[in-house]
Amino acid sequence: MKRTFAITLILALLLALVAMPLSADGHERWDGADDLDVNPLACGMGDEMMEDDDGDMEEEMEMMEYDGGMAAMGDDMAGMDITLVDVPKLVGIGYFAATTLGQQQAAEELGNVSVTTDAPTEANIDDQIQVIDSYITAGVDGILFAANDPVAIAPVLRKALEAGIHVVGYDANSEPDAREWFVNQAEFNGIAKALVDSLADQMGADASFGIVTSTFTTPNQARWIAEMWAYAGECYPDLEWLETLEAQEDAVLSFQQAQTLLNKYGEDLDGIFAMTSVATPNGADAVQQADACEDVAVVGLATPNGMKPYVNSGCVRDVILWNPVDLGYAAVYVMRAVVDGEFGPGDASVSAGRLGDLVVVNGSEVLLGPPFTFTADNINDFDF
Amino acid sequence: MTDKKTGQPIPRNPTLGEKLRHLLISQEGVLFVIMLVSVLFLATRTDKFLTVDNLLQQGRFMTEVGLIAIPMTYIIITGGIDLSVGSILGLTAIVLGWTWQELGFPLELAIVTGILSGTLAGFVNGLFIVRVGVPPLIMTLATLALYRGLAEGISEARSARGYPEWFFQLGQGEFLGIPTQLWLLIIAVIVFGIVLARTRLGRALYAIGNNELGARFSGLTVNRHLLFIYTFSGFMAGVAGYIFVSRVSTTRSDMGTGIELDVIAAVVLGGTSIFGGTGSIPGTIIGVVLIQLLKNGLTLSGVTSDATIVVIGSVLIFAILVNNFIQSRREES
Amino acid sequence: MSRPPQRRPLDFIGIALALVIIGAYFTLPFVVQPERGPSTVAVLTESKKANELGVFKTGLEVIPLAGLGILLLGIWNVIAPAAGRAIALLTSVAGLLVVVYYINFFRNTPISPPSEWGEGTILGSLDLAFWVMLVAGALAILQILIPRSVPDERYRIRKLFGNQESVILFGLLLLIFFIGIANPRFLQERNISDNLQGNAYIAVAALGMTMVIVTGNIDISVGSLVGLLAVISGRLVVSGLPAPLAWLAPLIVGAGFGAFIGFLVAYLRIPSIVVTLGMLSIIKGILIIWAGGERVRDMPPEYFLSQMRPLGIPMPIIIMVVLTIVVVLWMRYSATGRAFYALGGNAEAARLSGLSQRRLLMTVFILNGVFIGIASVMYSTQFNIIQATPPPALELSVITASVVGGVSILGGTGTAIGSTMATLLLNFIRSAMIFINVSPFWLKAVQGLLILATVLADLIRRRRQRL
Repeated sequence: MKRTFAITLILALLLALVAMPLSADGHERWDGADDLDVNPLACGMGDEMMEDDDGDMEEEMEMMEYDGGMAAMGDDMAGMDITLVDVPKLVGIGYFAATTLGQQQAAEELGNVSVTTDAPTEANIDDQIQVIDSYITAGVDGILFAANDPVAIAPVLRKALEAGIHVVGYDANSEPDAREWFVNQAEFNGIAKALVDSLADQMGADASFGIVTSTFTTPNQARWIAEMWAYAGECYPDLEWLETLEAQEDAVLSFQQAQTLLNKYGEDLDGIFAMTSVATPNGADAVQQADACEDVAVVGLATPNGMKPYVNSGCVRDVILWNPVDLGYAAVYVMRAVVDGEFGPGDASVSAGRLGDLVVVNGSEVLLGPPFTFTADNINDFDF
Repeated sequence: MTDKKTGQPIPRNPTLGEKLRHLLISQEGVLFVIMLVSVLFLATRTDKFLTVDNLLQQGRFMTEVGLIAIPMTYIIITGGIDLSVGSILGLTAIVLGWTWQELGFPLELAIVTGILSGTLAGFVNGLFIVRVGVPPLIMTLATLALYRGLAEGISEARSARGYPEWFFQLGQGEFLGIPTQLWLLIIAVIVFGIVLARTRLGRALYAIGNNELGARFSGLTVNRHLLFIYTFSGFMAGVAGYIFVSRVSTTRSDMGTGIELDVIAAVVLGGTSIFGGTGSIPGTIIGVVLIQLLKNGLTLSGVTSDATIVVIGSVLIFAILVNNFIQSRREES
Repeated sequence: MSRPPQRRPLDFIGIALALVIIGAYFTLPFVVQPERGPSTVAVLTESKKANELGVFKTGLEVIPLAGLGILLLGIWNVIAPAAGRAIALLTSVAGLLVVVYYINFFRNTPISPPSEWGEGTILGSLDLAFWVMLVAGALAILQILIPRSVPDERYRIRKLFGNQESVILFGLLLLIFFIGIANPRFLQERNISDNLQGNAYIAVAALGMTMVIVTGNIDISVGSLVGLLAVISGRLVVSGLPAPLAWLAPLIVGAGFGAFIGFLVAYLRIPSIVVTLGMLSIIKGILIIWAGGERVRDMPPEYFLSQMRPLGIPMPIIIMVVLTIVVVLWMRYSATGRAFYALGGNAEAARLSGLSQRRLLMTVFILNGVFIGIASVMYSTQFNIIQATPPPALELSVITASVVGGVSILGGTGTAIGSTMATLLLNFIRSAMIFINVSPFWLKAVQGLLILATVLADLIRRRRQRL
C-alpha cells in the first residue's frame, strides 16, 4: 500500500511538472515591493533630462513635511568628539567595505568623529538588531545603519532615539519615524530609469530581457524592479519582460541563473539586468563565457572594482551605481551636522564636505545625487 | 540533580561536599563554570555588560533559540536531528501574516493557524521519519528546502505588517519587569526540563537514544515517542516564529534562516551528545545563555562581529574539549 | 535467489530493436538521395529553429548511435543474462534518446517534406519513418516492463533499482526527458554542458563529504573553507606566484585544516559536528577579517583552470568525472577505502580487526581537506573575480548531495558516484524548473519536493530489498 502510494505520489509530481508550464505563464508585477507606489520618471535619455527630472522632484518634495523621528534630548554634543557605530547589512562584501572607507575619510576630515563598523557576517535581520541593541547599551553617540528590513529594524532604532542616540540611515531605509535622516544614494526611480534607458539604448526599445536579483524580499532590489516595471511600461512599452530569477548574494548561483536565462531564451534574449554587486559581475561572466557579449547586454548595479574585467574587455558597456564611498562619507557628515544642531527638520539642504550641499527630498531624506554610470572611459579612475 | 545519570552505584549517602563536587564535575557543572568565567571576564572589560537591563534584554533575544533548543535536545538525545526548524519558523511567520492580511482571519486565529501549521510541519517530519523510515537528517534537510519554499510561495515575497498594539506585547513588552517572552522560556525550560529528567517520557527518550532496538524490544512505543518529539519541535518552532514576528513587527519569508545551526551549537555545547543517549535541558540552556552572553559581551567590549564568531567557534570546541577531558578523568577515577 | 535464467526469444528484443532503428535510418529517403547526400540532414536541420539553437547539433546522427548502443547491449544481454537487468536500463536510455529527439522534432516542425523526398524508397514517406523509429525507441524503453527470463519479478525490479545510484540516474533521465518535451531548449548542448559543470565543484566537495559521512562523521565547515581557500589561491596568483602553484596551495592549506579537524576528532575525541560547527564560524571570521570584503581580481589568464576546455570538454567536468571514478575505485578496492566503511559500519568491529581508528580518521579528514581544496580551486578559477565571502549555504548543498546520493548519515554505506549524480540532479532540477516556467516564488518549494521524491524513491527500493 505504502509503496503504491509513494509511487503514485512521485508520478503525480512528475505530471505536475509537465503541466506546470501551462499554469505559470503570464507575468504580473511580482517583485516583493509590497505594492508600494511607484513613481516613474519622465521618459527620455541623457543627463540633461535627468537633472530636469530631479528639479521637478525637488519642488514636489519640498512640500513634504519632515517625517523622520527625533532623538531624545541628551547632552549637547555640538563640536565635541563623538563616537559613532556603523551597522551595514553585513560585513565582508566589497560594497560595504567601500561605504566604510568613505566614513573613515569623513571622520578623518572632521577630526572630531570616530566611526567603528560592526555588523553581522550574514545579512540577517535578527543579528543586525542584536548588534544595534548592544551598541545602544554600550552607549554610542550616533548610529549609522543600512537596514536589512525596514520594518523589523524600526523598534530597535526607536529605542536608540529614545536613549538620545542620533540615528542616520544610508543605503537601505527603515520606517521614517525610526530614524532622523536617511542618506538616499539615488532615488529608486532614478536608478530604474538609468538601468532601463541603458538597455534600451544598447539593444533597442523592443529588447527582451531577464533580471537576476538577490531575493524577492530584499527591499531595495524589490523597489528598483518595481520602478523599472513602471518606467518601462510607460516609456518603452515594447520592451519584453521575460523573467526574474533569484540568486541570493551567491556568485555561482548568479552565474548559473544568467546562464539559464541565456540558454532558455537563446537569441530571444537581448539583455540581463543584474540587481546586485554580486550578480552583475557574475552575470557578465556568464555572458562572456558564452561568447554572447555582442547579443546580450548586461546592465547592472555594481561597484567598479568588481566590474573592471568586464568593462575593460568590452563585454559590459554601462555599470550603474552611486559612489558608495561618497555615500558613507555623506552619512557621517549628515550625522555630524545633526549632532551639532546645524541640520534639523525644515532644512532644505545640508553641507557635506567635498560633496558640497546635498538637498533634502521626501521629507527626511538627503539625496546623494543622480546615479552614476561607469563606462570604459572612467571606470579605471575609481578604486572601490 | 544531574548526577543521576552517572549510573554508578552509590554505596552510602554522599556528603554535601561530595554532592557538590559531583555536580561541579558533571557536564553541566563544567559548562556552568566556563560560563561564569566568561561572564566575569567580560564584566571586567566593560561595566555595561553585567547590568540587569542588559541581561534581561539578552534574555529577550535568546528566547527563540532557547525555545527551539528544548525539543532539539529531546531529538538529539534520541539520536536524531531536526534541521528544518528555521524554515518552520519562517513558515509559521508567513502563515500568520498571510492568513491575517490576505485571508482576513482575526489576528488571534491567525496566530493559532500559524502555530498549528508549524506543528503540522513538524508532524509531517515525524510521520515520514517514523512511518516511512527516512533518516531524520535527510528528511529535515529536504523539508528545510521545502518549508522555506512554501513560505516563499505563500507569501509571494510580500510582508505582512501593521499589527495592532497588543500583538507586540509578547515580543516587545514586559511583564513584571521581565520581557514577556522570557517568562515563556523560563516556564518551558522548567516544565520540559522536569519532563526530561523525571518522567517516563524523558527516560524513554534516553533509552531510545542509547539503544533504539533495545527500547523497542523492551516494549517502548518508540514510534509514538519519536512522532511526538518531532511534532513538538515543529510546535516550538511555531511558537518561536510567533514571538519573532511579534518582536520584529513584520513577516518575511527568509525569517529564521540559519537558526538551526545556532540551536544545534547551543545544544551540543550544553553537553548533549550528537550520537544520542546523553544530554539535559539545564545543559542546553547554559549553552544558549553562554553563546548569547558571549555575543553581547564581546560586542560591548568593542570586539566586532567577525572576531566574535571566531571566539564563539573556539569556545564551542574548547568547552567540549574541557568537558571531554574532565568526564574521562571522572570515569577513570 | 539467483536462479539461472533461461534464454528466451524475448531476450533478443534489444537486437531486434536495434536492427529496426538502424535499418530505418539507412532507408530514410533523404539519406539515400545521393544528390542531397548528408547535406539533406543539414537542410532539414537548418529549417528547424530548435536545431539552430543547437538541440542535438549532430541531428540524426543520434539515431544510429542509439541503435548501435541498443544492439551491443542486446547482444551483451544474450551472452550474459545475469547482468541483463542493469543493461535493460541502459538500453532504455538509448531508446529514450531516440524518443526525445523525435518528440522535439514533432513539437517544433510539422513534418511535411517535399514530396520528391519520398519517392522511390521502401518506406516512402518521411512521416512513416519517423513513426517507425519512435515506436522502436518506445519499445526499447518498454522492454524493461516486458516479462523476461528471470522468473522472479521482484528480483528483477530489485536488481534494476538495486542501488540509489540507479534511482538517481533514473530520476535524472526522467527529468531531462520530461523537461525536454516541455521545452526543447533544455536539451541544447550548451545547457546540458553548463548544467553538468555548474556544480562540479560541489560534486568534488561532496566526494570528500561522502568519505567523511561514510566513516560516521560530518563536516559543516565546507562553505567557509572553500571561501577562504579560494581567496588564498587568488591572492597568491595575483602576487605573482605561477598558476600551478596557486592551484596547489589550497590543497595543501585544505589538507592542513583537515589535519587539524582530524586531530581534534581522532585524538581529542570531540564529535566532528562540534568541531566543524566551530570551525565554520572560525574560518568565516578569519576570512572576513583578513579579506576585508576585498574581491580578488586581475588574475593572469592562465590561472582560470575551470574555464579551460581540453579536447573541447570543460575542465570542471573532466575533474569531476576523473575524481569520482578514482574515489569510487579507491573506496571499493583499497584497504584504507574499505576500512572507512568498516569504521562507519561498526567502529568497534573495525577496532577489533586491527584498524587504527585514529589514523583512519586523520586520513579521512585530510583527504576531505584536499578535496575541499580542489573544489575551491574549481570555484575560484571559474570567474574573473573571486568574492571575498564564503559561498552561502554551500555546506548544505554538499551535505544534501551526499545524503541524497545514498550515503547513509549513520555511516557505513554510500558511494561516490551517487553523490556526484545527486549533485548533477540537484543542479538539473534548479535549471529545469526555470525552463518550464515554474512561478519563481514556488521554485524552492518544488526543489524541496523533488529532493523529497528522490529520498522516497530510495526508501521504496530499500523496502523492496527487505522483502
